[in-house]
Amino acid sequence: MVEIHAKPGDSVRIRLAKREIDGILLESPDSSVVLLKVESGYNIGIAKENVLALRILKKYIEPVLPSLPLPSQNLPAIGLVITGGTIASKLDAKTGGVKPLTSVQEFTRFYPELFQLARVKAIENPFMILSESMSSEHWITIAQCVKKLLDDPEIQGVIVMHGTDTLHYTGAALSFFLKNLNKPVVLTYAQRSIDRASSDARLNLQCAVQMALSECAEVVLVGHANLDDEYCQALRATKVRKMHSSRRDAFQPINTDALAHVWPDKITFYGTYRKRHSGMCELDDAFSDTTALVKFYPGQHPDILDFYALKYKGIVLEMTGLGHVAASDSAQNWIPSLKKHIKNGLIVCGAAQTLYGRLDPLVYSNGRDLAETGIIFLEDMLPETALVKLGWVLGHYGWKKHVREKMLSNIAGEFGERLVA
Amino acid sequence: MSDVKDYPKLGLKAGLEIHQQLDSGKLFCACPGYLRSDEPDLLVKRKLHQVAGETGEIDAAVMHEAAMDKAFMYQYYRDTNCLVELDEEPPHQINQDALHEALKIALLLNCDIYQDTQIMRKTVIDGSNTSGFQRTVLIARDGYVETSFGKVPIDSVCLEEDSARIIIKDEKQAVYRLDRLGIPLVEIATAPALNNPEQIKEAALKLGEILRVCNVKRGIGTIRQDVNMSIKGHERVEIKGFQEPRMMVATCNFEIERQLKELEEGTTIGAVRNALEDGSTVFLRPMPGRARMYPETDLPLLHISREIIDAVKKKLPKLRNEIRDELKKRGLSDELVKLVLEGHLDEFSALSKVHDNPNLIAKMVALWPHEFASKFKKEESAIREVLTEAVLERVLLALNQKVIGEGEVKGILLKIAEGMSVADALRIERVDDAELEAKIRQLVSEKPGLREGAYMGLIIGTLGKDVDKRRAMEIVKKLLVR
Repeated sequence: MVEIHAKPGDSVRIRLAKREIDGILLESPDSSVVLLKVESGYNIGIAKENVLALRILKKYIEPVLPSLPLPSQNLPAIGLVITGGTIASKLDAKTGGVKPLTSVQEFTRFYPELFQLARVKAIENPFMILSESMSSEHWITIAQCVKKLLDDPEIQGVIVMHGTDTLHYTGAALSFFLKNLNKPVVLTYAQRSIDRASSDARLNLQCAVQMALSECAEVVLVGHANLDDEYCQALRATKVRKMHSSRRDAFQPINTDALAHVWPDKITFYGTYRKRHSGMCELDDAFSDTTALVKFYPGQHPDILDFYALKYKGIVLEMTGLGHVAASDSAQNWIPSLKKHIKNGLIVCGAAQTLYGRLDPLVYSNGRDLAETGIIFLEDMLPETALVKLGWVLGHYGWKKHVREKMLSNIAGEFGERLVA
Repeated sequence: MSDVKDYPKLGLKAGLEIHQQLDSGKLFCACPGYLRSDEPDLLVKRKLHQVAGETGEIDAAVMHEAAMDKAFMYQYYRDTNCLVELDEEPPHQINQDALHEALKIALLLNCDIYQDTQIMRKTVIDGSNTSGFQRTVLIARDGYVETSFGKVPIDSVCLEEDSARIIIKDEKQAVYRLDRLGIPLVEIATAPALNNPEQIKEAALKLGEILRVCNVKRGIGTIRQDVNMSIKGHERVEIKGFQEPRMMVATCNFEIERQLKELEEGTTIGAVRNALEDGSTVFLRPMPGRARMYPETDLPLLHISREIIDAVKKKLPKLRNEIRDELKKRGLSDELVKLVLEGHLDEFSALSKVHDNPNLIAKMVALWPHEFASKFKKEESAIREVLTEAVLERVLLALNQKVIGEGEVKGILLKIAEGMSVADALRIERVDDAELEAKIRQLVSEKPGLREGAYMGLIIGTLGKDVDKRRAMEIVKKLLVR
């Protein structure tokens, strides 16, 4: 077996037992296979053990990209926070892998429409990671970047480009962290990679710009409203969830309606929203990550609570139906354990496994017994929003005695008083 | 325009590209490959954008398509489409049935298989693919097909997904149907080794023959043939959309004239052109380059193991010469074998499964329609439109059920060819049967005690030569036993 001394992108000639093949060497996902782009444009693999010799015909030269005209200075200014995810990744033809977009120039090449609708005054790029790898530290960093952009008087609104998997957690975090929000903060995403002509990122970004320039000073998520490439919906970031693993309209409002429908050239608002104002936004990013999200299931033993009580200050318990876990009529009665741990200081919040609908522990007797344990029933708040809010509340040392009160007050639209059909 | 040209002097170089649909489910999802003619359940509206390649260049063909900024509508059927065709779910693993069938075709074409290869995305933004690309994978190389003028080298065999069907296309809109999107296609490309139109046609027919012994779809639109051709001094032009190999000679001659004219004018740019029915061609789009190909990042590298290749080799179907020997062994005359192999093998094989009588079926599919055509002074194709495989099958089923006798089959087909309904033709024979039996019964009762042969002589003498002798004999035997 021959040593492969060429680098991805090099033109090479490979000698096999019976023939030679010319092509461009690519980064192979399989270490036993040499991947080659041949003349027709197809990629083929060659078992490395069959390669008798490899000769470099031409070294790879980084292509000089054509410079693009500078965006117009007359357009309203926006700020961008790029954090990674599909919306900010592209295929690297040299290696065949997916790489993050970084330079403004690259963005202008992939999203020419964005730069025609607004002047991108500043880009913050704190990190490039897929959203499943984020933690509360990333939420804080993003909030700090957003705050910095919001403080620029020229900037009309901020767009955050983010992976989809945990976008709704980040959205909830920003909703609580950014106090007295003065301008739109718009989170957006892509479900289809941007190197394909069918990418959903274009429409999402065009609509995100519309929203960022609007009067709505809230943290919202903007993305496809349905399967059509026609318009997007703006969703309040505390009441949204990724409800599909792959569809472009994956994000749906839960227990509420869309705040607005957004076209590339217009917005229709539904209901009331906080208006843009000239005050300053404050950053309130105190956070404790000693919280956990626990899903109850039939037959689950309450001793699981002993583990959480040992390690965590508070948990959000995803409860069945109107707000239930196994009670006194069950061999695994949770009530004594809940009572004990709550009395000893563990904060237990209840959220609905059903996602849709409001908790109401008073309908059944089991629920009433549970209500007496001291669980904080979070009405129609989403479990993920509840987890983020609980971490934020517990991060404020001064609120230690007011956790219940804080959890139950509507700070960023996380509660809905009226559930509509 | 003369039909025979000095092709060597013109320096004609041509290659064939054949796209054949495989008869399996879709290539990258679990949907069936049915075409629909009913109302769709959902209409989805999409836009496609041009995407710059890695070096900032945009492929000429892609740029051409993107220049027509348009919304595309897609007709979706809940029961035979899924999120994959809507570009709302990543592709599933490649369909193994389709892969095996494609390998079978590659092996019949004497190709070497690429054991490690990568599924690619070929950028197509005319709207015919919801994703903005066609998935395609190179699976084999360096084969050949035997023709009367020698071996024609096969450069490559690819397995790819078919595009969505255009339903409405005008200035304002383009509506596609998702039924065809994702049906597996095998693409066979010959080397540019064909040097005159007759060779092109023969090579196309030979390839078609090989494809038909495999599990491929049949009928209009299931095979598409493109010709890549150039004369000396002109760039390569791809002519798409031949449905009929017999149009190839005329179209190629037409194209040579066109290229000659362009040579005079000095505009010898390569392009993709569409074949029209009159043999001429129209510009379709610029020639696509390699910039439009990039890997399908949602799928792993495709490894085709030695075990799979060996398993496919064991099950390779028989080719024409093998079939010829077999038909002879089954008792067909040389003449009938020749007739059957002239395009009637599919029908012959299908009907042989209904009724086991090679000679009768060979005559039904290959001989009689020709006879009837000259008898009625009609085109043979008109007769075949009436005597379809389904009709022949019904007649054979009636024969199986002993509703009719073997000797009556030709008469029944003649009546159907004349315009009688199948049901009537079969029923009338029953009435004729009853009449025949009554007449024979009468003859027997008039002259009792004779031998079978004697009665047959009497029957022919009284009823004429055209009587169904086999049926008459059966009736005589039946009556004599009583």
